Amino acid sequence: MKKKILVANRGEIAIRLIRAIQELEHEAVAVYEKPDQKSRHIRMANEAVLLGDGPRCDYLNIDKVIKAAKRTGCCAIHPGYGFLAENPFFAKACETQGLIFIGPTSQTIHDLGNKVIARDIMAKAGIPMVPGTDNLPQGHEGVETALTFAKKHHYPIMLKATSGGGGRGIRLIESDAQMQAQIPVARAEALAAFNDDSVYLEKVIVNPKHVEVQILADQFGHTVHLGTRDCSIQRRNQKLIEIAPSMIKNKDLLDTICKTAVKAAKAANYLNAGTVEFLIDKDFNSYFMEINTRVQVEHTVTEMITGIDIVRNQIQLAFGNPLPFSQQDVQTRGHAIEVRINAEDPKNDFMPEGGKKVSVYRSTGGFGVRLDGFVYQGYVIPEVYDSLLVKLTVHGFTWMETVARLHRCLANFVIAGPKTTIPFYKNIVNDKDFINGSFDTSYLEKHPHLFLYDEDTSEVGKLARLIAEIHFKKRNPFAE
Amino acid sequence: MTRLFHNMPVPEVLRALRQAKGYYITNTARDLSQSDFKNRILLHTDLLAADSREKAGYFSLEITGGASVHVDILRHQVNPFTKLKVLRERMPQTMFQTLCRGVNLFGYRPYPQNVIRFTVREFAKYVDVWRTFDFMNHIENMRAVFEEVAKAGKINEPCICFSTGPEHTDAFYTDKVREIIDVTGNDIILCIKNHGGLGTPTRIGELVDAIKQRFPDLPIHYHGHNTDGNDVGRITAAVLNGASIVDAADFSFTGYYGPPPVLSVIQALKELGHTAIGIDENAIIETSDVIRDERKYYEQFESQIKGFQPTVQIHKLPGGAMGSSLEQASKGNFLDRMPAILHHELPRVQKELGNWWSVTPGSQILWTTAVSNVINGERYGNPSGDLRNLLLGKYGPFPFYNPEIWIYEKVLGENWQQVLKDEGGIEAIDDIDLAHERFALSEKIGAEPTDQQLVLYLQHPKDAVEFFKFEEQYGQVYVLPPSIFFRQGGFEVGQVLNFQDHNGKEHMIEIGPSPVIDTGETNVYLNVDHHQSIFTFLPEASSGNPGQAAIPTKEEIQDLAMTGDMRSPFAGNIVEISVKEGQEILAGDRIAIMEAMKMQTPILSRTDGIVVMISARSGDSLRPGDRILTIRVIE
Repeated sequence: MKKKILVANRGEIAIRLIRAIQELEHEAVAVYEKPDQKSRHIRMANEAVLLGDGPRCDYLNIDKVIKAAKRTGCCAIHPGYGFLAENPFFAKACETQGLIFIGPTSQTIHDLGNKVIARDIMAKAGIPMVPGTDNLPQGHEGVETALTFAKKHHYPIMLKATSGGGGRGIRLIESDAQMQAQIPVARAEALAAFNDDSVYLEKVIVNPKHVEVQILADQFGHTVHLGTRDCSIQRRNQKLIEIAPSMIKNKDLLDTICKTAVKAAKAANYLNAGTVEFLIDKDFNSYFMEINTRVQVEHTVTEMITGIDIVRNQIQLAFGNPLPFSQQDVQTRGHAIEVRINAEDPKNDFMPEGGKKVSVYRSTGGFGVRLDGFVYQGYVIPEVYDSLLVKLTVHGFTWMETVARLHRCLANFVIAGPKTTIPFYKNIVNDKDFINGSFDTSYLEKHPHLFLYDEDTSEVGKLARLIAEIHFKKRNPFAE
Repeated sequence: MTRLFHNMPVPEVLRALRQAKGYYITNTARDLSQSDFKNRILLHTDLLAADSREKAGYFSLEITGGASVHVDILRHQVNPFTKLKVLRERMPQTMFQTLCRGVNLFGYRPYPQNVIRFTVREFAKYVDVWRTFDFMNHIENMRAVFEEVAKAGKINEPCICFSTGPEHTDAFYTDKVREIIDVTGNDIILCIKNHGGLGTPTRIGELVDAIKQRFPDLPIHYHGHNTDGNDVGRITAAVLNGASIVDAADFSFTGYYGPPPVLSVIQALKELGHTAIGIDENAIIETSDVIRDERKYYEQFESQIKGFQPTVQIHKLPGGAMGSSLEQASKGNFLDRMPAILHHELPRVQKELGNWWSVTPGSQILWTTAVSNVINGERYGNPSGDLRNLLLGKYGPFPFYNPEIWIYEKVLGENWQQVLKDEGGIEAIDDIDLAHERFALSEKIGAEPTDQQLVLYLQHPKDAVEFFKFEEQYGQVYVLPPSIFFRQGGFEVGQVLNFQDHNGKEHMIEIGPSPVIDTGETNVYLNVDHHQSIFTFLPEASSGNPGQAAIPTKEEIQDLAMTGDMRSPFAGNIVEISVKEGQEILAGDRIAIMEAMKMQTPILSRTDGIVVMISARSGDSLRPGDRILTIRVIE
């Protein structure tokens, strides 16, 4: 039966969701804020609702989104990632308003969103974790607890806000003196940012690999994993490049991680799609980090190697259907790499290039290539949202084939107007360590040459610039 | 017959010259470019000519120096050192020659001694023959260059600048030669620098003979210009009287004020029994055949007045300044006043100021003064800063006689004697801190500069930094032919441009469409080696379109000045703003100094008043009519 589903998001993920909804022969209702009125996701949806003037407040307004769903006769809401996706109050509101929230239950989101509860659940299930503390007691006692922890596990140690996330509310501590000074500061900040001043400690795993496992779970007790992804290449805890499966040669370790992920999901009574994140240290010890209760930006690489449509399954699971396959049915084939092409200037500390017009947009294509984007030639990038323009995902039978495909696709990709991360990725696909699959979270820091590129590095490209100028100005301004 | 080679020890070169049965030829490609093509001949063209020029067997190729060092970075966008390196690869044997203006090096004003020495040292790595002159024939102004050239083991070729008139006697010139040899020693080549192409063949023959009589072992290099069409005659007379080397240039590019055609020189002298040593005539013909087709791309830079100018004997403008003077007259809309300037005012000014040698920077002083005298109506009414410096003796003493007192009064003021006493004479210029300059440059380009970069920066600080930035963005553009580099009006859509980059790699660029998008930006599509590239340009603030304010006329600018609205009277750069906001000034006070065509001109207030707003800053380049500052007029 045809259903209407509200897509509570924008940008490329909104389009990704709309595609899955339409492939299931349902109808997609888009919502948007005023600055997004020229966004492509509105044009692709069957219907669209203006939430308000925005920016970044109406997409976050639970009341407005639920009203839009009700008014348009939607029976379900897909939150995508970001915005309301991991807000337990939103999931709860859906539940109470009789709307299907496409994701886990509000209780799960709440439990896993609270780092301490999450750790508690995992500890009880025997999942290996980065050594850490519970919420630190208030006042002097908290500082004492922290110093004792530091003595046992050694610095560096991460001081984290219990309600933080997404790279926010964390700080690195390297000495007792810093610890004493930073705890009160962190508390004050956490209180201001998250309305919760709880903080806890976690040992820092130096230069780990960031490996995560995609899981899917139905209401009938079936939980499967779709293999691993490596998201180690990050800047300031924001992922740039994701790879599936992990390049770690130790197959037993990867098997263990996947099984652990399923166990962790079961321990949390997890439903729908989720991601269990691990850190792997130099000695191949794995530590549970957290469970992300949403579809991830990088879900595409898993889809490419498994052939399983994660978003389609999310919708079907939310509608109460059982998983249509078992763990044995899940096979991975080859390798996939996703690069996030952002409107940013990598040379200028990835400063966003919002407000600029995409004067030329010529994307790539061909075998093993997937694009998840929403910009088009003539589109002006709003300054008020994130800078992701398009995700380029390539799939190949071997790793080398996949790297070569990415190389080819980046060379063919033309975006004029804003600066983008494309030339930076071009450097990465030529880097020996990347090609050899040896990278961890310190990759960018240890490869500063990746930032050395000209917008056009070739000599002929430079000369072409002068010729273009002589042509445009109808004279050579440098010969006068 | 001995051909002379790059890296030959100096004594060997001089021995060969002294024993030569015949004469040698210098190809003055640099002077040809400066005189007849406003210095625009590109390295690309010189590279086309390189193989046959190498084969031709010249004594030397004059390919750097004069204004070319500045023009290379300003308009050719090529590093003058790169140019020499690239040419050397293609021409391993031919000696390279430069023209150095003594203390003024390759510029227009004196440099500190340590800058002179550093610059000569760096260029001497590439340059074999150093032709050095001073426009006042003041030997002291050349001493530092002589010393550094000798230290570097290169050939010193000091000049006596030549002119005509009752003062310009053989005795005067041979005494000058004595003065030079007293400083340099005997192992030099002496250049007779006839930059205007002045005098008759007989006069040149007499002078060469007079020098040869007094200094029989001194090899003489005759340099002339063909402005009047008679330089082959003067060259012939010079060789008949004992000159060892003469200057000429590739005939397919000769024409107006530069050197004479090389093959004509050879043919004239052959009949008289004088052989051009080491010369391969076929290679000379080949050079002209190779570059002839390129000449059309330089047409826009050729003289505004066609034909020879025998009246050069009256006005004496050097060949190297003819092109730029005519261009200035054309741009300044006073081409019709040229006969009055060239045939009446300029010779008059020349005599009034001492009848010395009209060559850089003296020729510019004479020219600017003559133009100002004619255009402004009042003779010496608006003296340039350089004329002032001349009268103050900053360039050296007048060689023959001093100007009359009324000129001193006009230029230096009523109390000129006191001014002369206080400010007169050659000023010792203090050495500058090179380490400090190096640091300043590194700050500007964001990298540790090379010695060569520092040398260029010391010559022309602003233009050098702009050039380094250009190079970074656009690469080595000397590989582009003049058909691309000087293209006017854009290319045709579909046109295919082929060229080799500096690594010898072939490239093809096809011109695509250039749509204007709705932001007003233009996207220029090019197929670069079969790959599409897009270059985005912001809309250009085009000059001369009807929407824009027209440039005020000279009269309007003067009228505005009467109301205290001081506008730039010509296109030029602000050298100095001489007043401050709030300052009280009187009519006639200097409010700023501007520079155009390398000459400084004070801008004077036309009214009493208070400076209320300063709109331009030192270093700004202004168009005519741009506001400099505003004065509130006090009635």
